Amino acid sequence: MYPRQISKDDVLKKYLYLAAVTLVLMLWLLPLGAVILTSVRPASDAAVGNYWGWPSGFDLVKNYTEVFTQTPMGRYFFNSLVITIPSVIGVLVLSTLTGYVLSRYRFRGNTLLFAIFIGGNFLPFQIMMIPVRDLTISLGIYNSYLALIIFHVAFQTGFATLFMRNFIASLPDELFEAARSEGASPLQTLIHVVIPLVRPALAALAILAFTFIWNDYFWAVVLTPSDAVKPVTAGLDNLKGQYVANWSLISAATIAIAIPPVVMFFLMQRHFIRGLTMGAVKG
Amino acid sequence: MTIWRRNRSWLWPALFIAPGIILFGIVIVGSSVQSLWISFFQWDGFDEMQWIGLGNYIEMLDDPQFYISLRNNIIWLAVFMLAPPLGLFFALLINQQIRGMRIVKSLFFMPLVMSQVAVGVVFTWFYDPSSGLLALFFEAMGATAPALLSDPRWVTLAVVFAALWPQVSFCVILFMAGLNNLDESQIEAARVDNAKGWKMLWYVILPQLRQVNFIAIAVTVIGALRSFDMISVMTSGGPFGSSNVLAYQMYSQSIQAYRFGYGAAIASVLFAIMVVFISWYLWRMLRMEKEGA
Amino acid sequence: MSKANTPVTRRRVIQTLGAGAGLLLCGLRAPAIAKPRRLIIISDLNAAQAPAFQAIAAEFGRQSGTEVIVNNIAHEANKTAIRNYLVADPPDICFWFSGQRMRQFVGMGLFSDISDLVEHEGIDRALGPLLDTVSIDGRQYGLPVGGLFWGLFYREDVFREHGLTPPETFEDFYRTCYRAKAQGLVPVAMGTKDQWPAAGWFDHLNLRINGLETHMALMEGRVAYSDTIFDPVFEQWRDMIQQDFFLDHGTSYAWQQAAAFLARKKAAMMDLSTFLQSVMPPGQEGELKLIRFPTYDASVGPYEDFSSNSIHIPQRAQQKALAREFLAYFYQPDVLARFLAPIGTVPPRNDMPVPDDPLTKTATGLLRASAGSAQYFDRDTHPAMAWAGLKGFQKFSVYPSQGKEIRQELDRIRTRVTTST
Repeated sequence: MYPRQISKDDVLKKYLYLAAVTLVLMLWLLPLGAVILTSVRPASDAAVGNYWGWPSGFDLVKNYTEVFTQTPMGRYFFNSLVITIPSVIGVLVLSTLTGYVLSRYRFRGNTLLFAIFIGGNFLPFQIMMIPVRDLTISLGIYNSYLALIIFHVAFQTGFATLFMRNFIASLPDELFEAARSEGASPLQTLIHVVIPLVRPALAALAILAFTFIWNDYFWAVVLTPSDAVKPVTAGLDNLKGQYVANWSLISAATIAIAIPPVVMFFLMQRHFIRGLTMGAVKG
Repeated sequence: MTIWRRNRSWLWPALFIAPGIILFGIVIVGSSVQSLWISFFQWDGFDEMQWIGLGNYIEMLDDPQFYISLRNNIIWLAVFMLAPPLGLFFALLINQQIRGMRIVKSLFFMPLVMSQVAVGVVFTWFYDPSSGLLALFFEAMGATAPALLSDPRWVTLAVVFAALWPQVSFCVILFMAGLNNLDESQIEAARVDNAKGWKMLWYVILPQLRQVNFIAIAVTVIGALRSFDMISVMTSGGPFGSSNVLAYQMYSQSIQAYRFGYGAAIASVLFAIMVVFISWYLWRMLRMEKEGA
Repeated sequence: MSKANTPVTRRRVIQTLGAGAGLLLCGLRAPAIAKPRRLIIISDLNAAQAPAFQAIAAEFGRQSGTEVIVNNIAHEANKTAIRNYLVADPPDICFWFSGQRMRQFVGMGLFSDISDLVEHEGIDRALGPLLDTVSIDGRQYGLPVGGLFWGLFYREDVFREHGLTPPETFEDFYRTCYRAKAQGLVPVAMGTKDQWPAAGWFDHLNLRINGLETHMALMEGRVAYSDTIFDPVFEQWRDMIQQDFFLDHGTSYAWQQAAAFLARKKAAMMDLSTFLQSVMPPGQEGELKLIRFPTYDASVGPYEDFSSNSIHIPQRAQQKALAREFLAYFYQPDVLARFLAPIGTVPPRNDMPVPDDPLTKTATGLLRASAGSAQYFDRDTHPAMAWAGLKGFQKFSVYPSQGKEIRQELDRIRTRVTTST
């Protein structure tokens, strides 16, 4: 391990270290703390510029209940899940397939295809606004869950393909040769060799894709004007009025919105680091 | 059946890759190409498109805002390059197996899962020249706080600094993964040779982290060139366009000024810059793979 | 996919996704039998006004046996979304702005002519001068639903404590500013982080110095920003900035943050609209007073900025007849009053009672006494010009000595805008 691990027996050093790390962590999370604190403030605090001082009162329950009772946030939450979960699954499936083929089959245009996947993913996606809008209209899916799902799957597949290709390329060649010598078809190889081995990568990818898609704001605004299908990020914007914004309510909603990715992250943390280690790092 | 059997060695892979290619090809590549096409027109998004050839590009050369945006993109790139070393620093700091460190590590990654919009809002509070934390700090020191977000000289740096927060977080994650994947035998051997501190880091650890480094730089460059959300939330490109970047200028020209052709032309320039970077990326990646093989 | 199929798809999408949610949100009791009549509305209201509208929509639904679905979009997001949904998937009713912004959409054939409704319901008589804001060549394409009156605000208690008097003329204004400054107050709070508040100052100065006709000529691109006729406007403004009348670091603050200076008794005045009330500390709203922007030249009439929002039927709406029924219902004085009550806005119909809220009362009085009104800079001028103008005025508020360069840059945009459309 690097850096050298602090010995369990050196109690003083251990606590000094923990204290130092905690201090750094607190500074590091200061901005997050401000949002949390503001989410329990009475609305009048933010209106007079009290963002960092002690709250003049605690409206924790009031603010958080209001988010779900006074606004359609519950509905938006549901929409976000309906959009994000199938999108993540779609990304995982497609990128496993493309990553497998691009890493294990040599054919003319392989590098070019790969380059297009990467290149497309590096683009500032805002430029695609009008064409994507027109595309969803002509498919008859504008203003529906499907419009966002299709765009997110397509866009994230670029990044995910890069990730999966590198991961599968890093798997030992012997496994694939053994499968081939046993006469396994590509489908059998995919099911019996690739899929069991890529699980950690899928876990890492799932978290990243979930975070990216869940936090998307731009496409939500462009493709889903109606409340019935709008996700939380665009819904959050709804809380800001034309001229009047209730920051306490917005902060509470922001925290509530951050919870699903955080939970997801905590649940899969161990796999996440492992998957990332192999997918992104080893290449 | 026989056709299938004879060709299945390539039919399967073709079948596997087809959905990805079709979807990505239509939605992403198709839309991007269409966008380039739009850049040769004058178009408000509704009416008939009017072919003006290179008109938008010629206008861009005359547009002072374009140069400001370009300059800011370069600043973003330069400052963002701090993210990989900072990420490495924090990763080294927290890479201990003591009880309780797991939660510390997770908390370090929080900025990445928070939405950019929220990050932007908080940093706006932070910089607020009358009641922001920065102002309170300056006040305690007996000085007046600079109004970073309203000063054309500082505004871009202030926004980039805020954007660094989640970006560093991303790099911490990558380097944590890298540190968990080091070759123990090399480290032990170096320790036997009495390598310590900087020397150890420089000669033993960093060479092993080359691949992570490369990825960290790549995501950082993409992040810098695609910067949008933070600018939208914190300054809307202001004051008077001095914190604008190409991605945001393109957006505001299209969405706010309804000039889709001009917006698309700016996008094309951004695209050209990206192409340079993407080519470098691919070249390096393929070279590394060859070396590795 | 052929065009003919689109409505079917839309129906399906809305049925499967929207209906359940819409009912859930509107708090409607689910009808036992499927109703063929369904009205779809997209609104862009804030949290205060949206529930009032939902209630009105639900009530209309009950009375007419219609299923009404209201989709509310954030105000800013709606500006982006409307260009998509009017083309792709138009609702039966939508909200937009009167004046130039409406004209632009009518020009593209996106809003339908509702002159018959206006005449039939006698709305034309009730609207008075506001009728112009929704008319093109004598035909109406929308109904104004209240608007914002822009003027000068101050706290009465602060003025009393510091012995200040509300300015009527520019000499008064300067005197008040000097006095406020001498007593440690910021004379004028202005937060231009979102750019537009600076344009309000430009509007007011230009309306007072050059009058409405010249102002509108500029808005429509018929006069150049560099024209000497505007020299006094920029000169006056430059002087005020260099006299240090405005809040320092104005570009750091959104209007809310700048307004906090007024609310916390640190600033004397602010040029804004009645929504300023929302940042006043609870219980002190009554201290906030509104006056007309000071007179510069006695020979120029009291022209004001009054931006009105409006409600429209898209040209490609599915249920145009039903949408008219809804508008007729919605535009009854008492129903409209319930809609406007939560935000305290000037009532668009003259046959409506003036609201009790003192600020709204003042605003209504000032508007009725005005010689004519503009909408607001970014609503009156071409969108590309508005975008450049807001930026230019914000820049001017920091670098007043660069007035010449800024005006030249605006003219560069103006030339392009006027030659291309």
